[in-house]
Amino acid sequence: MLSVEALKIRYGEVEAVRRVDLTVDSGEIIALVGANGAGKSSTLGAVAGLVPAASGKVIFDGADITGLAPEAIARKGVALVPEGRRIFASLTVADNLRLGGAVHQPAAEARLREEEMLELFPILRRYHRVKGGNLSGGEQQMLAIARALMGKPRMILLDEPSLGLAPQLIDTVFDLIAELRRKGLTILLVEQNVALALEIADRAVVLANGEVVLAGTAKELASSDLVRQAYLGA
Amino acid sequence: MIAQQIINAVSLGGVYALLALGLAIVFSIVGLINFAHGELMTLSGYALLASLVLGFPFPVAVLVAVSCGALAAVAMERIAFRPMRGASVTSLLLTSFAVSSLLKVVFQNGISARPQAVAMPGWMTGAFSFGDFTIGVGPSISIVVSALALIALEVFLRRSVTGTAMRAAAEDFDVVRLMGIPASRIIATAFLLSGLLAGLAAMLWVAQRASVDPLMGFTPVLKAFIAAVVGGLGSLPGAVAGGFLLGIIEVLLQATLPGAIAPYRDAIVLSGVIAVLLVRPQGLIPAVRAQRS
Repeated sequence: MLSVEALKIRYGEVEAVRRVDLTVDSGEIIALVGANGAGKSSTLGAVAGLVPAASGKVIFDGADITGLAPEAIARKGVALVPEGRRIFASLTVADNLRLGGAVHQPAAEARLREEEMLELFPILRRYHRVKGGNLSGGEQQMLAIARALMGKPRMILLDEPSLGLAPQLIDTVFDLIAELRRKGLTILLVEQNVALALEIADRAVVLANGEVVLAGTAKELASSDLVRQAYLGA
Repeated sequence: MIAQQIINAVSLGGVYALLALGLAIVFSIVGLINFAHGELMTLSGYALLASLVLGFPFPVAVLVAVSCGALAAVAMERIAFRPMRGASVTSLLLTSFAVSSLLKVVFQNGISARPQAVAMPGWMTGAFSFGDFTIGVGPSISIVVSALALIALEVFLRRSVTGTAMRAAAEDFDVVRLMGIPASRIIATAFLLSGLLAGLAAMLWVAQRASVDPLMGFTPVLKAFIAAVVGGLGSLPGAVAGGFLLGIIEVLLQATLPGAIAPYRDAIVLSGVIAVLLVRPQGLIPAVRAQRS
């Protein structure tokens, strides 16, 4: 469904991503793991169109989407839930959701979709008229995911959904991710918590210093010496 | 007398508020302080003059003039600012100075450097009285128009999807684009609204003076800029508050200062501005911006 080929990303003189190749098949969860600064978020940014690629290609559904504007990529059915959630703090939960689904469907369908989201995230129904900035971190993460789902994406890019959340909340978020996959969504997950990521993912790609150092099924990686020593502390 | 001064103060404040709001809308979305905003006002003034000379009925002429301001703002973005998208704040600022100077020269050489009289309908200069109070028709209309424009804008920003997207874009533009909402639509709407407000402000300004000249927009937009900064640059409620505050203080000083000190009115107002900014550097009602790592 998605393939990233020889992606390179530069910020001025700094090469944040030297070479990343990865593929995500329909219905899969692929985890992109690695230390801070390994190039995970930059890679997601390039897929979503927020970060320009210095070279390489991003192919979605057989079409080259490298260099397209973020709004064009979103309309093709790729939704990014950015790092730090970045919900609109001064807008109500309702308005955050409304913007998420604004351009992807007629207004009547968007209302139905919103109803589905409120079923999936009861907490958002409770805080429907509350400003996004007044929600707790976990609630904001739910809102950020729901907002992305409002546009009925076929693929969702999750950037560090566990960051800054209490342990029980992390479990809730990851249960939700598993649930979304059961419903047929394709997921590319960036996560610093490698153990957690490998538990949920089908396959994983390990990045270090902007390069892929290891790739394979989640099971293979969980038992690989490199991953165990470097990321799982075993 | 006092009632008349209050009406004048609110009416002037309303015009500043409309202009400050136009500056603030554009600034909140693209980070540009548009110094050519005054020329949008001037252009609307000339459009009113031309429409009246061509014999259009007054309401039609006003409609044409305000539309010209709005369309000119959109054209300005398309021609001058869009190619500069992503450029530094300084480059954008210089571009807006260039557009401003260019338009002024076009007005001076293409039309005339001297003020042109605009034949406003007679009833605009009239007054009506309640018992002891005499209230000018012009300032009253100005207050009503400003209030209606502010309400309409508020409804647009709260209720419509594009308006909501604009509020969101002022906070975090990239995420709005991630929702699939085109950046160009948001930016064009911001300029359209700022041009509409400049056009309306021009009508109210011309109604008080019955003439247009190439530098007409300069002073009110300078004041509006001050109002926007005092209110909190990029904050829309701040721009409105700053506009009314500035208008009211100006009229108040004009009415109360003894003749010997009157020439220092602007200096006194600007000292007040400095005092406000010392206490509240972010302005009266600071803008909300996402904090990004």
